[in-house]
Amino acid sequence: MDFRIPEELQALRASFAAFVDREVRPIDESMTEEYWSGTPDHGRLHDAAEQVRRRAAQEGFYACYLPEDVGGWGVSTLGTALLVEDAARCGVRLAMMAVAPPNPSGPSTLLLQLPEHLQDVYLRPVVRGEASMCFALTEPEAGSDAQAIRTRARRDGDSWVIDGHKHYITNGDKADFAVVFAVTDPEKRAAGGITAFVVPRDQFRAGKTQWTLADTHPSELFLDGARVPADHVIGEVGLGFFAAMSFLNAGRAYIGAQCLGLAEFALDAAVAHARSRTAFGRPLSRNQGVAFPLAESKVEIEAMRWLTYHLAWAVDEGENPMLDASIVKYYDTERAYAVADRCLQVFGGMGLLREGPVERVLRHLRMLRIVEGASEVQQLVISRAMGL
Amino acid sequence: MNIVVCVKQVPDSWAEKKLNPSDSTLDRDSVDAVMNELDEYAVEEALVLQEAHGGEVTILTMGPEKAGETIRKALSMGADKGVHVVDAGLHGSDAVATSAVLAKALGTLEWDLVIFGIESTDARMSVVPAMVAERLGSPQLSFATKVDVADSTVTIQRQTEYGFDTVEAKTPAVVSVVEKINEPRYPSFKGIMAAKKKPVTTLTLADLGLGADEVGLAGSWSAVDEFAARPPRQAGSVVKDEGDGGVKIAEYLAGQKFI
Repeated sequence: MDFRIPEELQALRASFAAFVDREVRPIDESMTEEYWSGTPDHGRLHDAAEQVRRRAAQEGFYACYLPEDVGGWGVSTLGTALLVEDAARCGVRLAMMAVAPPNPSGPSTLLLQLPEHLQDVYLRPVVRGEASMCFALTEPEAGSDAQAIRTRARRDGDSWVIDGHKHYITNGDKADFAVVFAVTDPEKRAAGGITAFVVPRDQFRAGKTQWTLADTHPSELFLDGARVPADHVIGEVGLGFFAAMSFLNAGRAYIGAQCLGLAEFALDAAVAHARSRTAFGRPLSRNQGVAFPLAESKVEIEAMRWLTYHLAWAVDEGENPMLDASIVKYYDTERAYAVADRCLQVFGGMGLLREGPVERVLRHLRMLRIVEGASEVQQLVISRAMGL
Repeated sequence: MNIVVCVKQVPDSWAEKKLNPSDSTLDRDSVDAVMNELDEYAVEEALVLQEAHGGEVTILTMGPEKAGETIRKALSMGADKGVHVVDAGLHGSDAVATSAVLAKALGTLEWDLVIFGIESTDARMSVVPAMVAERLGSPQLSFATKVDVADSTVTIQRQTEYGFDTVEAKTPAVVSVVEKINEPRYPSFKGIMAAKKKPVTTLTLADLGLGADEVGLAGSWSAVDEFAARPPRQAGSVVKDEGDGGVKIAEYLAGQKFI
């Protein structure tokens, strides 16, 4: 076994770090006022994120994981996970927009299953950072139980006509197109009756914006007789869930990598604070009540690191590590949240302020314990794999 | 047009640097090593000139084996090949000794321009480009904010307190560039992968015909007699403005002989 990170991926990390320092950090610093405000200017924040996304796309970092023929660099899952980790660890919030995953607004590998002429229309503009997408699966009556979706698609000549209501759709209000999951055979449902479609912006309507504790703002989507040509099916009719599975393992490695990076950032900040802050005549770090929880956090971070890197490696080896993916999603989100919570405690009152470094990390990680397969769903998958 | 860019591996600018007590040289093991940031502008300028005029860009460095990483980085930005002078005898070389090695190595290469960054962020002497030009008998165009090449004439602009000097020379020439000249590119993944296959030649002192007494600590004209850690920063003095702030500031500056 060779656990060293390959030289070329180290070089890629260095190149990305230079990009973040030189171009993203100044934009991020100019947003400090908005970050700290109770009533931030969301338009300004959105514009800044778009600026970062476009520049990262021009340089090639944004969609680095996609093959070269669609404008990517063909970077491995491990290489991409390392950039996602570094973007989260560096403390520059907008850096998390510079690599597309795990943001659902970025170019999904699902779109590689579209016919070539549609990749030009949908995939490549997102790779270039000129357009964005959204992933529309969840519905008011179908969250963790995704096969219970009610959105229906019916064939009408050379088209499909889709009716339904989605919600919690990240980037739903801004997306140029949506990947929509709809029932095409109510008898079969998850076993061959759910299909994934590409639906352009003019065929759906974004409803109410839903603000979350993590500062994200997903929205409702309404499809009222949305009409798309027959070639807008991703993969095969009825096999939408199977198409989605093809990128799920890598997606979970990226979420794990983001958790890892955020936990490292929180720990770096807490360690620096514990060493420099004096109370009762000595540095905080001289108290075991402060130092030991940070030591425990370090141990958990190393466990997260190797679970995550191993998952990414297994994906690159062509395996189908579904159990490992669930373990990473469960362990990394839960442990990173626990790490951030301990780190916030070290900051005391300052930890509660929006100006403090950790509170936004804690809120983001709280979200990740729920989205993209809640912790309990992962425990279900893991326990079933154990024969329980 | 063939260009050689001289680059140096230095300790990360943000790292706390230490000297080895045994020989007063830099403790390279205790800090991360990176390409001298100011050399990135030199590499970028060479690549821009190559895009306009063709030819090859060669990266030249001297330093321990690890310094090869710096050549690899420049190759991943787009340079064509590297030359690495590596020899235990180089350890402790000052600017004069360094210029002797670089000039000899440049003598083994064909070039129209040699480009340097203005200084290294560790030693910060800014003298190596001039010393190399002198040893080569080439014109030196220093502190360039703009470089143009037409036929066999190279023209640079140098910013001064009052405007710009325009200086020109016939090639072959040695140029040093400042950080205002361009925005260095980020190595792409494609560039990184391509760099793995690009040729890097290593040369020893014997290959260059240099004796051990001409380089390293023995061949250096300057020596560190002693060194001490920087004293901890003292608390500043606070002047409270009670209507006489301006006077107090003037008194302070006069006391420090600033005015």
